[in-house]
Amino acid sequence: MLWLALHLPLLPLEAFCAALPPHRREGAVALIAEHRITHVNAAAAARGVKPGMKRATALALAADLLLGEDSAPREAAARLAVAHAALAFTPAVTLHEDDTVLLEVQSCLRLFGGLRRLLVRLHDAVAPLGHRVQRAAAPTALGAALLARWSPAGRGSLLAGPHVSGPQAARLAALQALLDEAPVWLLGPGREHWEALQGMGLQRLSDLRHLPRAGLARRFGAALLDDLDRACGQQADARCWLELPERFESRLELFTLAENTEQLLAAAGVLLARLVAWAQARCARIAAFTLTMHHEARHAAPVPASVLRVELAEPSLAAAHLQLLLRERLARLVLPAPTLELTLQCHELKAGAAANGELFPTRAGESEGLVRLLERLRARLGDERVLRLLACADHRPAQASRSVPALRPGDGASPSRSSLRASARAAAPAMSALLSPPAVNAALPLHRPVFLLPEPLPLGERGALPVFEGRPLQLLSGPERIEVGWWDGAPEARDYFIAECADGSLVWLWRARLPAPAGQVQWYLQGRFA
Amino acid sequence: VAVPPALSEPETLHPALWRAHRLGPARAPVFGTGFAALDAELPGGGWPARALTELLLPHAGVGELRLLAPALAALQGQERSLIWFDPPAEPCAWALEALGLRTRQLVVVRSRAPLKGRAREILPAADTLWALEQALLSGHVGAVLAWLPARLPGDALRRLQLAAQAHDGAAFLLRDEAAHQRPSVAPLRLLLASAAPDVLRVRLLKRRGPPLVRPLDVALAPVLAAPALARSRAGRRALPAAVPAPAEALPL
Repeated sequence: MLWLALHLPLLPLEAFCAALPPHRREGAVALIAEHRITHVNAAAAARGVKPGMKRATALALAADLLLGEDSAPREAAARLAVAHAALAFTPAVTLHEDDTVLLEVQSCLRLFGGLRRLLVRLHDAVAPLGHRVQRAAAPTALGAALLARWSPAGRGSLLAGPHVSGPQAARLAALQALLDEAPVWLLGPGREHWEALQGMGLQRLSDLRHLPRAGLARRFGAALLDDLDRACGQQADARCWLELPERFESRLELFTLAENTEQLLAAAGVLLARLVAWAQARCARIAAFTLTMHHEARHAAPVPASVLRVELAEPSLAAAHLQLLLRERLARLVLPAPTLELTLQCHELKAGAAANGELFPTRAGESEGLVRLLERLRARLGDERVLRLLACADHRPAQASRSVPALRPGDGASPSRSSLRASARAAAPAMSALLSPPAVNAALPLHRPVFLLPEPLPLGERGALPVFEGRPLQLLSGPERIEVGWWDGAPEARDYFIAECADGSLVWLWRARLPAPAGQVQWYLQGRFA
Repeated sequence: VAVPPALSEPETLHPALWRAHRLGPARAPVFGTGFAALDAELPGGGWPARALTELLLPHAGVGELRLLAPALAALQGQERSLIWFDPPAEPCAWALEALGLRTRQLVVVRSRAPLKGRAREILPAADTLWALEQALLSGHVGAVLAWLPARLPGDALRRLQLAAQAHDGAAFLLRDEAAHQRPSVAPLRLLLASAAPDVLRVRLLKRRGPPLVRPLDVALAPVLAAPALARSRAGRRALPAAVPAPAEALPL
C-alpha cells in the first residue's frame, strides 16, 4: 500500500476568502467561532492577531480586520472539491479529520508512470482550487496523514526515499524511524492530553513507544495507542471510500452582495473549478451546466432566483473556456437584485476523453477551434444570431433557403454533415422537405440571386416597365413561372424576371401571374445578383 | 563611386520595401482570385492572407460575390470554413451552391441587422467589431467577409488589421463606396462597380505598387443566357443618349 496525504492547513480561511471580492482578500482576515478567533491569515498574523483571542482583542489590534464566521458546510464543500480532484486518479480516496484527503495510489502508479509524474498531475488538478497543500507519502494511511500535517522543515517533501520504494517491511521501518522524531501533538488523542504529556516530559512519539503500553492505556485511553499502532502499520486501519455523486451541486454564499456581473464571475470561477474537478473524476466532459443566483429580498418580498443555463456545443473540460462563456452570458444578463448566493449544478456530461491535442494545426483542430469561436459568439450575441444556411427543396424563394442556428447543444464538430442533419431534425417539422445540400454542382445555373430581400419591395411602373430608384428596369430574361404551394396553405403564383438596372447590375423581379387591378402595385423586387 | 549592392536594390533589404513602379511582393501566402487579369495586378498574384482587403461598392449586388466565389470555393476545398458578418440581405443557399460554395461550411453571423419578425433591435456596433475581431484572432476561419458601415472609426480598422495578422486566411471588408475618400489601413482596396451585366469594373484604389490608372473589367460567371445578353446589348446601344451611365461618373 502506498498512501498519499493532501493536508490543507488553511482550508477554512481559503474557503472563506473564495467568497470575498478579490481586493479584500489581501487585507487582514480572521475566522471566528463562538466569539473566539479560530484562524488568521498572514496579514492578520503580522498585526498580532492570534487564534484563541477574543473578538474585542483582535479588533483592538487591527481595526480593519475582516471577521468571518467559521462555517462547517462551507469547509466541507471546499474539502469535497479537493477529494473530487483526487478521485480522478484513484477510486480509493477518503477524508481524514477535517483537513486531510488521503489517496491510496499503489494500484495506479504504473498507469500514471510513477509517483513523481502522478504527483505533478495531482498538483495540476488541485491547483485551480486555490488551496495550500502539504503532501506526504507513506505506507500507512495514518502515517501519511501525520507526516503531511507535521511537514517537518528540512526533511524535504517526504515523497522520496525508502518509505516510498522498497518492500513493505523496509518501508514501514523507515516510516517508524521518521515518526519517532514527530511531536506527540500530531496524534489526535495526544492533542487533548498535550498538557499532561508535556508535564511528564513526553515530547516525541518515540518517548511514547518506549513506555509500558498497559500504563499508557490506563492513563490516556486506548485510542492513543491505537492511533500509534495504526500509524506504524501494526494495526489494521479500515477506511470508508468516498463515492462520487451522480449530479454535481455546489453552493457558495457571497460575503458581500454582488451588484455586478464582474463580482459574480469571480465567485463563479471558484464553483467552476470545483465542477471541473468533479467532471474529471467522472472521466467526462461538461455538456451543460446551470448557475442559479439567489437574490436579496427587496421590500420584504422575495425576488425569484435568476437561472442561467449554459450549454456547450462541444463538451469541454477547460475551466478557462467555461469561464469565458459564462462571462459573455453574464454580461447580457440584467440582475433584478443584488446576489447573495450562487449555486452551480450539472448533471449533463459526455463520457469519454476529449480528442488528443495536436502539435501541428490539423483539420480536426481547426474545426474544434471554430466551434469554440462560434460558442463564444453565440454566448454574447445570442443563439439566433449565429446561423447556418439550409437549402430546402422548394421553389418559393422564401422557403428554399432557411437560416437555422449554427450550433445546437450536443452537436459534435459543428459545420459537418452529421450536425447539419441533427439541426435539420430539430428545425423543421417536415423532414421530407429538407435535404442535405447536394455536392457542389458547377452545372447548376446561376439563375437565382445570392441576396434575397426578406420582404419583396414594391416597385413603381412607367410605360408597362418596372421602375427602380427612378430609372426603368430593362427586362432581360423571363418570365420564369413559379406556381406552387397550393398544398400547404401558402400558394404562390408568380412570374419571375431578371432585369438590368441602369448601372448594369442585375436584379430579380416578380409579377403576380394574374394582373393586379389598375392602380395597384404590379412589380416586386425580390433579390439582387451579387 | 561604387554603390553597395544592397543600396542598388533596396527592396532586398526588407520584405516591407518595394519599388514604387513595380508590384510589391506578397508578405504572406495569397489566394488566387480565379481571374487571371486581376491576379496580374495584385501584389503576389491573389487575395492576401493575414491582411484586410477592402471592397467598396455603390450598393450590394454588383457582382462582388461572383468575384470572390472562386477564391472562397478554393478555400472551402481545403476544408476551411467561411464566416460572413451581417450580409445585407438573406443569402440564398441554392445560389451559393451554384457558385460552388458549400453552405455547410458557411456560418452567417448577424451582429447588427434586425431579425425578421422581431422588434427592430439594433445591437451596438461594438458587438460587430468584437465578433469580427474574435473571428480574426481565432485563426480557425478560412475566410471572413464582413459587411461594415461606411463610417467606421479609424482605430477600429487599425484594430481589425492587427487582428487580421493572426488570421491565416483572407479577410474581406465590404463597405459602401462613400468610404473611399477616407483613409484606411487595409493594404489592398478595390472599388467595384457594375460595367454591364456579368461584367464587373474593378478599380484598384490602393495596393503595394504603382497606382492603376485604367479600371479593370472582369467577366464574371454569367447569370444571363446568350439571348438575354444580346437583349441587354441592344438595349444599351439605345440607352446611353437617354441615361448617362453612373458607373463612369464615379470620382476616383
